[in-house]
Amino acid sequence: MANMSFENHIVKQFDGELEDIRTMLMEMGGKVEQQLKDAITSVAGVDSALAERVIERESHVDEMELDIDEACMLIIARRQPAATDLRLVMMVSKAVNDLERIGDEAKKIASHAIILAEQDVPSKGYTEVRHLGKGVSNILANALDAFARFDVEAALKTLKDDHQIDLEYKTALRELVTYMMEDPRSISRVINILWVVRSLERIGDHAKNLCEQIVFVVKGQDIRHSELRG
Amino acid sequence: MNTSATFGVGTPSESDFRDTRDGDMSDIGLTKGHVTVGSVEIQAAKITARGVNIFYGDKQAIHDVNVDIGKNQVIAMIGPSGCGKSTFLRSLNRMNDTIDGCKIEGDIRIDGEDLYSPKLDVVELRARVGMVFQKPNPFPKSIYDNVAYGPKIHGLAETRADLDEMVEKSLRRAGLWDEVKDRLFQAGTGLSGGQQQRLCIARAIAVSPEVILMDEPCSALDPIATARIEELIEELSHNFTIAIVTHNMQQAARVSQRTAYFHLGRLIEVNPTEQVFTNPEHSLTESYITGRFG
Amino acid sequence: MSKEPIYLEKIQRSLVGRYRAERAFRGCGMLAVSLGLAAVLLVFVDIFIKGTGAFSATYIALDVTYEKDLLGIENLADQRQVNSGDWEALYKQALRRDFPDIRKRGERRKLYALVSSAAGYDIKDRLLANPGLLGSKETLWILADDDIDSYYKSWLDGNAYTARLTDGQIRVLDTLINTERMQLHFNANFLTRGDSREPEQAGIWGAVIGSFLTLMLTLVLSFPVGIAAAVYLEEFAPKNKVTDFIEVNINNLAAVPSIIFGLLGLAIFINLFQIPRSIPVVGGLVLAVMTLPTIIITSRAAIKSVPPSIREAALGMGASRNQMVLHHVLPLALPGMLTGAIIGMARALGETAPLLMIGMVAFIVDIPAGFMDPATVLPVQIFLWADSPERAFIEKTSAAIMVLLGFLVTMNISAVWLRKRLERRW
Repeated sequence: MANMSFENHIVKQFDGELEDIRTMLMEMGGKVEQQLKDAITSVAGVDSALAERVIERESHVDEMELDIDEACMLIIARRQPAATDLRLVMMVSKAVNDLERIGDEAKKIASHAIILAEQDVPSKGYTEVRHLGKGVSNILANALDAFARFDVEAALKTLKDDHQIDLEYKTALRELVTYMMEDPRSISRVINILWVVRSLERIGDHAKNLCEQIVFVVKGQDIRHSELRG
Repeated sequence: MNTSATFGVGTPSESDFRDTRDGDMSDIGLTKGHVTVGSVEIQAAKITARGVNIFYGDKQAIHDVNVDIGKNQVIAMIGPSGCGKSTFLRSLNRMNDTIDGCKIEGDIRIDGEDLYSPKLDVVELRARVGMVFQKPNPFPKSIYDNVAYGPKIHGLAETRADLDEMVEKSLRRAGLWDEVKDRLFQAGTGLSGGQQQRLCIARAIAVSPEVILMDEPCSALDPIATARIEELIEELSHNFTIAIVTHNMQQAARVSQRTAYFHLGRLIEVNPTEQVFTNPEHSLTESYITGRFG
Repeated sequence: MSKEPIYLEKIQRSLVGRYRAERAFRGCGMLAVSLGLAAVLLVFVDIFIKGTGAFSATYIALDVTYEKDLLGIENLADQRQVNSGDWEALYKQALRRDFPDIRKRGERRKLYALVSSAAGYDIKDRLLANPGLLGSKETLWILADDDIDSYYKSWLDGNAYTARLTDGQIRVLDTLINTERMQLHFNANFLTRGDSREPEQAGIWGAVIGSFLTLMLTLVLSFPVGIAAAVYLEEFAPKNKVTDFIEVNINNLAAVPSIIFGLLGLAIFINLFQIPRSIPVVGGLVLAVMTLPTIIITSRAAIKSVPPSIREAALGMGASRNQMVLHHVLPLALPGMLTGAIIGMARALGETAPLLMIGMVAFIVDIPAGFMDPATVLPVQIFLWADSPERAFIEKTSAAIMVLLGFLVTMNISAVWLRKRLERRW
């Protein structure tokens, strides 16, 4: 594993500031991860109270985004970071964006959960949500884990897992479409589930972005839009 | 020409990262035959240095430096104090000749011509390779005489009108004309620090050198004067080859196309500036530009 | 963060001591400076009081009749008659007429001795300048003898000096003073004549010209050589054992007593090259050799003080070493070099010892007309006069010192002025 260190700066405060944005990002990641789990549970368990709490907590995530962005900006203004330091700050600033979007998607899932709970007793589509949700939660957890340890191997592996998620998403879509064709009365309900699945897929993409950022920080290579994943 | 190790700019493999990043200073092998990482050789080189060793008496200041300086490019030389970057810079127009006990080995060529060949006239060389120093050092003469000095001693101007034109052109190129045109015959030492440094640049370019060496040209200037000089360097780089030594890494990042990192008399890394400042190859370069111990 | 009060107290207590030490140190410095100033002032005042007298001389008013018979001259155009004429008879006759009761030969001689022995020549010059006066009579102010001069000046101060005068002479003088026929006039002789055995006729012009010629030669010889040597040693010479040796020797040479240079001049210029002694050429040569180390050392210091950045700038522009030195180093170092040269010259101007060795101590009455004429110089003149027994030479000595000091001060001021002027260019 590459030995990424953000310490040993001649200016000690710089060490602290870099450590701070990392910690804040991890904290935000943890929060978002929890939000995602709760959102998925609220859909699968038809728990509108939980869904309400998810929507409520979304503002915390937004606040953290603002805090981290400000910290990154201050570091750039004060320290003019270069090389790994520069890449870390850039990465954190982008990752914050991804995490915030994940938070947004989790909120969307929660609001769909509330709508679904108001409708008839659920029957079909929840299996797909549960299955896909588990996969996406894993990917996000792995991405955050890889970031905590700056583990390129793990990040690359997670990237491949996301590929798997995309396949599962397509399968789920096909199944949901089948449900709608079988029973047109369920269309409006299935569409809600469709939105949830769609959100999960988006979350997977954001998690993928996180992994790409990790590779960028460690290796200094931008692997976005390249065919490295194969 | 000696066969030095050359590197492409290509993608280094995973293990490359590990070698440099895991190592601490002692096992990098700096003391024995360090090989510069990065792109030593480039296309369209104006100056090529191969196997350059410089000694002050018994002390070796520069160890086996290999580097190309590209035509109409700016190369920045960075590194901690005493790393030999100024010494190396001064060897490019043989200013080290004036220092007693300074000895140079190796091969430095400008357009393929050996700088240290006995056939090459050092006066002619310095007309081709001009120099701007750390402290603005205009002659204690008028602004006009400062700029006209080079053309005068090299006999470049036939008539007074020619000389006037050369002075004006150089001052214009140095971005100083509008500020001094009404007081050309006042003392050059009466200008502000930044103006004095631009006057020195005007003086250097008055003889139309091919290469301009700058030894920390902004270290004595305030940020605004520095910005002016940087702007000037950018403009001059279209017509001149420029090598600049600087302690200000942001400056190196701003003005140069390539950056060379010196450490303890060795050229550790030379690479395109974007790469050096975002993703340096060598851990020592990384430590230096990120402000770490190393 | 404020210091703990205990530290502040300690600092305050130590401050008192520090300020006291500072005041004491400054006081010592001022005391030393004022002592030095007082000593200099004392010498100057003493010299000034003693020396001013030499710029005036006592004259006696006598009714002179230019009688042809007495002179034995018919035609003033006849050179032979003029030369053989008895000019002294004119003032002797006038004295006899004024003091008819002095008849004894011895007393008469004492009476004639009141007037300077050169008085006859003054009357001759007066008549030759105005030939129409021949046969007529006029009242002339005639230069008195040095003893009379001393008596009259001391009488004016209220403490008459009579040691060298007889009672008869004093009576005559009192009569002259009472009838207001004795006066002090400006002593032009002192500034226009050469040396003389008679104090009232002795002047410093010969010595001034001698000094001028000698110093001209010294400057012409030592300044270019000194600067050339300094430039070579500083800018071109390799730094090795040989140049170190030369440097040490130049420094030692500057410390060699000046009389040694006199011996050198005697041995080499006079004995070996057979240059005649006592002439400005040999004096100039000796003084040039003596000032050379000083000029070399000050010039090297001036060259060293030129900032290295200027040299680098010149070399970086592609100037050759020669151009760098000629265009940049020399112009910047010139004020310092000139100052050094002028101070060296001032030292040479005041130098006596080496000149004694090469015969410039001779008694020379004629004013030198060129570099090959025997001459003396101001300090040697002072030395000679200080050695003379006549009381009147005391004031001459002081006056000569005043002239010498005047020249020295002028030279030093011009050094400062030159420096300021040359430096102000940029």
